[in-house]
Amino acid sequence: MELMKLEIVTPNGVIFDGEVKQVTLPGAEGEFGVLANHATLVSLLDTGVIVIDKADGSEVAVAVNSGYVKVEEEKTTCIVDGAVALSGEDSDLARALDAAKELLKSAESSNTAIASAVAKVEQIGKSF
Amino acid sequence: MANLKEIKRKIGSVKNTQKTTNAMKLVSSAKLKRTEELAKKSRVYAEKLTELLNEIAQKMQNANADGIDNVYFKDAENPKKVDIVFITADKGLCGGFNSQTIKRVNALLAEYQAKDVKVRLRAVGRKGIDFFKFNNVELSDEIVGLSAAPDFKSAAEFISGVAESYVNGDTDKIILVHNGYVNMITQELREDQVLPVDSSRLELNAVSTSELEVEPDDDDTLLDALVKRYIEYTMYYSLIDSLAAEHSARMQAMDAATKNAKEMVKELNVKYNKARQEAITTELIEIISGMESMK
Repeated sequence: MELMKLEIVTPNGVIFDGEVKQVTLPGAEGEFGVLANHATLVSLLDTGVIVIDKADGSEVAVAVNSGYVKVEEEKTTCIVDGAVALSGEDSDLARALDAAKELLKSAESSNTAIASAVAKVEQIGKSF
Repeated sequence: MANLKEIKRKIGSVKNTQKTTNAMKLVSSAKLKRTEELAKKSRVYAEKLTELLNEIAQKMQNANADGIDNVYFKDAENPKKVDIVFITADKGLCGGFNSQTIKRVNALLAEYQAKDVKVRLRAVGRKGIDFFKFNNVELSDEIVGLSAAPDFKSAAEFISGVAESYVNGDTDKIILVHNGYVNMITQELREDQVLPVDSSRLELNAVSTSELEVEPDDDDTLLDALVKRYIEYTMYYSLIDSLAAEHSARMQAMDAATKNAKEMVKELNVKYNKARQEAITTELIEIISGMESMK
């Protein structure tokens, strides 16, 4: 399967930078998935969870509050205000989950978007 | 004899001052390193954001021959009302760092007032606030604590308030003045036009980006949100930049102070030795003349 480059940057640094198979993004007009060779696109991102299918088959979730995504054929760049990656060891994960929930709840968007994002984060927490 | 004791006390006190200034220098250099790291991290974000803004602006310009039709891209040739946001430190002891910024703000203030432009000052940092309060200049905003510990959220909150008054028409132009970091020994005064967005500063090139699809399908919504983020970020970055400059300025000032103290201790030591010799000579003369009179 063809890979593409994904970068997630926040004002506090780069959260994710690497090769991925697919990424699912919480767009302002609805969730959408991006594969390699996607048409050029710029979209607003809503509060939600970015799900990344990494090159090695593992899955990483990143909770974001709001931002933009720029999709190019070879590369996808997410520019977000705040992000918390949900991965790693069990003890880290518990902390990351709490941080993610806090981040989502503090976001300034509609309650439904926040609620669905929080539910998603909780689901991810159980699946690990 | 009292003189000797006096000098000794002075030497002790100068040595203590030297210890303090040296410690402050070390603290500042450690903090500078941390702030530099922070600036480096957030620079990536700035690059990407500017890139995106460039592209969207370019797209809109392609679509509309008369330039970009957006409230944030208005012309500001002859503003009637100007807001000046300036960043100073909360603390002193950093050489000319704060006074340079204040001087520039004063110069801008005089320049605009000569043109009969209404100016509002918005101060970030205690030193600037204190100065203008002392001189009975009205400040429409006072923020303490942000310049010592910048965080994105508070910076964004503050500047959105300012941007709102721009959108409402309460002001035509927003200028941000701060003392920025160049390297360990140099700081540079920076003056940025925050709003309206200076389209000459965007790198609009003729590369066709018409294929760029936008979602939501309304360029204005996207551009509005993007510009908002852009100015929020500009504010945040200026705060970090200013903090780095503050620490480097303080480092320099404290380094100079430590050196001066060292010099002073040296001089005082010479003085002390001279006074001691003098005292011994006087004592000897007294003893000798005493012995002479005994003969």
